[in-house]
Amino acid sequence: MAETTPQSDAAQKNADRRIIIRTVGLKKSYLMKGVLTEALRGMDIEIFQGEFISVMGPSGSGKSTFFNMIGALDSPSVGRVFIDEVDVAQLTAEELAYLRCHKIGYIFQSYNLIKYMTALENVTTPMAFGGVMPDEARSRGMGLLDLVGLKDRWHHRPIEMSGGQQQRVAIARSLSNNPSVLLCDEPTANLDLHTGQEILEILQRLNKEKGVTIICATHDHRMMNICDRLMWIRDGKIDRIADRGDVHIEVGGIDGH
Amino acid sequence: MKSINIADQPWLSMRRTISITVDGIRYRLFRASVTVAVIVVAVAFLMNILAESLIKRSVASNTRERIDTSRVIYNWSAKLSSPGSQESIIIEVANCSPDSDLYRETQRFAAMNDDDMAAFQTHAQKIVFVFDFFNSLDYAKRRAMIHTASGLEILNRLRTPENMEQFKLALSRIRSVHFDMSFDELDAVLAKGPEIRKQVKTIITARRNAIAVINKTLKGKTILEKLATANGPFGDTIRQAGFIFDADQTAPLVADQAQRLLDILALEESMEERPTRQLIAQQANILPADVNVMMMWKYLDGKRFATRYLEKMQEGGLKTEGLTPDRLVDLAQGRKENAALLRAERLTLDAGKGVLGLGERLGWLLFVSMLVCGIGITNAMMMAVTERFNEIATLKCLGALDGFIMIMFVLESCFMGIVGGVIGSILGGVIGLGRMLAAFGVNFLGAIPIGDILVGMLMSVLLGTILAAVAAVLPSFKAARLAPMKAMRVE
Repeated sequence: MAETTPQSDAAQKNADRRIIIRTVGLKKSYLMKGVLTEALRGMDIEIFQGEFISVMGPSGSGKSTFFNMIGALDSPSVGRVFIDEVDVAQLTAEELAYLRCHKIGYIFQSYNLIKYMTALENVTTPMAFGGVMPDEARSRGMGLLDLVGLKDRWHHRPIEMSGGQQQRVAIARSLSNNPSVLLCDEPTANLDLHTGQEILEILQRLNKEKGVTIICATHDHRMMNICDRLMWIRDGKIDRIADRGDVHIEVGGIDGH
Repeated sequence: MKSINIADQPWLSMRRTISITVDGIRYRLFRASVTVAVIVVAVAFLMNILAESLIKRSVASNTRERIDTSRVIYNWSAKLSSPGSQESIIIEVANCSPDSDLYRETQRFAAMNDDDMAAFQTHAQKIVFVFDFFNSLDYAKRRAMIHTASGLEILNRLRTPENMEQFKLALSRIRSVHFDMSFDELDAVLAKGPEIRKQVKTIITARRNAIAVINKTLKGKTILEKLATANGPFGDTIRQAGFIFDADQTAPLVADQAQRLLDILALEESMEERPTRQLIAQQANILPADVNVMMMWKYLDGKRFATRYLEKMQEGGLKTEGLTPDRLVDLAQGRKENAALLRAERLTLDAGKGVLGLGERLGWLLFVSMLVCGIGITNAMMMAVTERFNEIATLKCLGALDGFIMIMFVLESCFMGIVGGVIGSILGGVIGLGRMLAAFGVNFLGAIPIGDILVGMLMSVLLGTILAAVAAVLPSFKAARLAPMKAMRVE
């Protein structure tokens, strides 16, 4: 498993790290009422296994479109997405479902828990889709809930939990099939400072201890303290990529220059 | 090291699919119950009409049977006093089965062997077919084809070539009318006409002679009074005259009904007398002049009144032989049953034909109501899909196959269809049963086709379920095709 050491000699280290997601000339345009809107205008990026990368950018910058592309939720107009050297465009519907189920975990800004399922059922649903036996799914689900500190609330429904707890259940759910990549779409945006901090700590722990690759869209500056790399998107292009060490973080502002 | 190798996503087990679907319905119970209500109303409507049609049809045949039995006496008193017309004999022969008394009796009167009689019946049936065809036409069409001819005149008229031409011409012009008999066959029937007529005339003569034998034994009594003794020597007289009059079955029935008619006549005459009329007036608290026969029958239903009525009859010097209070009550109730039979016959005149006893109009009405219900379900499911965009997209992100999403919604609709179908069919069946019982009265309880109604209920449930499933296909398809990236969107 690739280790996450301080970024002293990043360039040389990157050479022998395994690439988990690679995009080549990624472009996406939508035709809306006769007007061609370009959401992505050519993005090339390589994301390494075990990396914690933050994606930043103003709204409308193409951040969400980029996320959909690398999450195998949408197909690009031009260019390719490789997830572990597998071209997503080549997969059938069943294989795509398998990919989403086993290889990618999604964490949403609005948690997106299934409202009528208990915490445990929410966590075990992806396992059921993946064909795991109910008994095993149950014990694994309890283990994951324990990991996010919600073991004693397994029978609660989303409506009976706070935002932070819901997001923790969502994290447990995203981990249910041991994914290689965790895609987080502003996971702390709907949470207060304290609970947001808890979520970030869980993510960091997953990254460090389990070696899960985490790609995180965020506006939260605390994210910069824990991520390995930062990526800025502007107008559908990669504006800048920087290692954490190169970015100065000050309370109240960010200055990357 | 986690390596990625892609395989096909397995299908979710049916049990888990059902449990997820049921949980989903439970969570949205209110919306689901509104959809179920739509199905309940539609299926109840279907089942109600089905139950009423089935009951009506069954009651109609039951009524016809009972009325036929109760009219045996009229048939016999008519038969023993007049030989009948040519048309009536042809129709009689055409409609009777070869092992009936009437068939054998006619054969005896016509002095025919078995083959001749069978041929005679076949021709009679063809003639009746022609009669029925012209009787089913409205006046204008009938006039265009055969002018004003009716009965056997029709055959006479068609035998002349120019009239036949007129008929064929009219038939070719009036497109809505179909004559289901070839012209060759019609010609054969027409050619046979004189022979048939001769045979019918033989039958009429034989019958007239037989009636003359019976008339000799009447000796001033009416045929009804004589028939009341049909169990005795008069029965033998009838048999000797050449009629087939079964001593074990027909004779007791005829005698009983004749006696009943005589008693009814005697009672209705007795009401004209002073003491009895006063008794009824007293009971009804009106003037004796206002008393009518309906009141008598109404009060005779009670045994106490019947006893007193009989006493008054004796007081007035009327003949009361063979009459007891129980007999009076029995007669009154018989009249009541008769009235119920007549009412049932009237109410079941519109009983439909076909497998389910539905007419064409009702079938159309049902079709439209089912269509409306289907559209209602589609709309409800559409709303449910729209409402659950986020959930569906999330499930797809978690690895759900399109097929699972589709099955989830079709199943949901099916469950609602089953629940709505069961409630609706019970509701519709009970309402239909209640309405029919209210219309016909409890003495038709035996005529209710329980088995048919149960089959109808099963069919209604099935139809409701299929309807719900079909109505859900389009919304489910829409849900299954939803892009999973919708889950990323913040509400």
